Amino acid sequence: MTKIDPDITIPDPIDLDRAEEERLRAAAGLTPVRTPGGEYAGFEQVGIPDRPPQTEREREIYTLDEGEMLVNMGPQHPSTHGVMRLVVKVRGEIIVDIDPVLGYLHRGIEKLCENATYTTVLTYVDPMDYLSTMHNEHAPAIAFEKLYGVKAPPRAEYIRALVVELNRIFSHGLMMGFLALDMGGLTPILYAFINRDEIVDMLSSISGQRMLFNFFRVGGVNFDTNDEFLSRLGTWRGRVLKNIEMNERMITDNEIFRARTINMGTLTGQQAIGLGVTGPNLRASGVPFDVRKAKPYSIYNELEFDVITQQGGDSYSRYLQRIAEIKQSIHLIDQIIDKMPHGPVQAQVPGIIRPRPGRAYGAVESPRGLYSVYAISDGGPNPYRFRMRDPSFISLQALPKLMPGRLVADTMAVMASLDPVMGGVDK
Amino acid sequence: MLAERLGDDLRDLWTDEDTVEYQVDGARAHDVLATLRDDEDLAYFMLADAAAVDYGPGAHFEVVYHLFSWKHPGWLRIRARVDRDDPRIASITDLWEGAMFHEREMYDMMGIVFEGNRDLRRIYMSPDYRSFPQRRDFVLPDDAADSPAAGVNPLERPETWDLTRFRDAPGVTFPPSSERADAPGEAVEAGETMASKSRPR
Repeated sequence: MTKIDPDITIPDPIDLDRAEEERLRAAAGLTPVRTPGGEYAGFEQVGIPDRPPQTEREREIYTLDEGEMLVNMGPQHPSTHGVMRLVVKVRGEIIVDIDPVLGYLHRGIEKLCENATYTTVLTYVDPMDYLSTMHNEHAPAIAFEKLYGVKAPPRAEYIRALVVELNRIFSHGLMMGFLALDMGGLTPILYAFINRDEIVDMLSSISGQRMLFNFFRVGGVNFDTNDEFLSRLGTWRGRVLKNIEMNERMITDNEIFRARTINMGTLTGQQAIGLGVTGPNLRASGVPFDVRKAKPYSIYNELEFDVITQQGGDSYSRYLQRIAEIKQSIHLIDQIIDKMPHGPVQAQVPGIIRPRPGRAYGAVESPRGLYSVYAISDGGPNPYRFRMRDPSFISLQALPKLMPGRLVADTMAVMASLDPVMGGVDK
Repeated sequence: MLAERLGDDLRDLWTDEDTVEYQVDGARAHDVLATLRDDEDLAYFMLADAAAVDYGPGAHFEVVYHLFSWKHPGWLRIRARVDRDDPRIASITDLWEGAMFHEREMYDMMGIVFEGNRDLRRIYMSPDYRSFPQRRDFVLPDDAADSPAAGVNPLERPETWDLTRFRDAPGVTFPPSSERADAPGEAVEAGETMASKSRPR
């Protein structure tokens, strides 16, 4: 750091425009303001013990130019969708850089699963991405069935597809509500929760639990459909389109909503692929990648549907993509109910299974993107290695790329449009 | 097709119903992945997953990449072998920017150093944590007396603290221990637990 001559007084740089400031500094014989590796003073500002930076990137974000400061957003911020901290470098109200700090919800689920039997693993993965619990169970079930060499009966596959699509609908519906909530609109989230509760009650009548369903088993599902489930499904199906359209009418053409989402947080398709963004966020950027179509699992190659894409890549496109996918899921549910065969819902599988040594990869399209499981068996009752790729964890990397140059208030709006769930991010 | 382009590098073909698997050397992994991504006939444009597997003390690590391409029917799995005593492999963040969080997680959980990654720091555990909790020799606490984990303090494994041998890795700037203001590895005295040492003061 350059020693400043005490005899020369420089006016407060924030009050001057940049050119004037540079001129004054040059006249005073000082270095320009934007020297790489300026004063390294970050850690104390965000309330963590001072220590040297460990990496180049850490040095970069915790090094401040004049006029910049670091602000903690979170970990208990009301709109971080869980417990996450964003270290935000701001110049006035403009964001310069963002560093997400994760791990507040880390439970070590992968390690726990290595010490659990294959059936128990399906209960451990439930609380990961707690808005798409059915998908969390689907991918391990696929991987374990490959490992064990068993196939679920057709009716089980249809019930799986049914509950998974129901789960997708309420997850996307909640995203619409949270997106509006993070911009200050309280009403849509209430309607979103009403719609969610209908589906959650329906799923609890088939699985017995309300949030962490624990419904999938290796080689099938836990229960067959029952009368209560089917009656709730029929009632819900009768009015769901009206409910969705009401929610949509409330948000889609809202002037404030449009002003704060159109051209905000734009991801190009190329960028999104490079960053590992998948799911609706990727399709909103125009890339037609959907695991249900690209690598069909379960019964998706028997159903008729197209991959929906949007061209914008901004927050508004991501919102429209969710609405389109809700309607597509309803269409899929109609087909599933039409085609559902009779038969058993579970293959004959013992409680503790010991697959032959081998490896298996199971991937599903969760509401947040490509959710995959890589399981290794060594012949014992526990998986030797159990790896989960959570889509919201990877998609979160897009946030620091999207925000520089935007206002602080837009961070949460863009983050809600990416729809991360911290239970999945932190595993 | 794969064997034509990358004949010498790919070993041990193994397939199941929707996956094609090859093994490569850790030193060649970056080049193989670059070819797979950039070759027009292969066009594995998407990195679906990158994970590390520990085969236990005395064996080796493995970094497992899953790739996706429109032109091929299955997932492609590339298993790259990494030495367990000196776990280094080239970073692929120059090919896919999104590999950053994957590699940070692998470093955090397994202690694999990705050379060329400019942000290789802990992602889940706190910065002053020194163990690698997903290694096979990091056992979870267990009450059973005959368990290998009996009497283990689950929070830290001191023998994995020493990271100074990675000081010269490009992109990884570990501060010298004398500069470390809050370095628990060196400063722990007898009787003092890690938990009391790493609490912010």
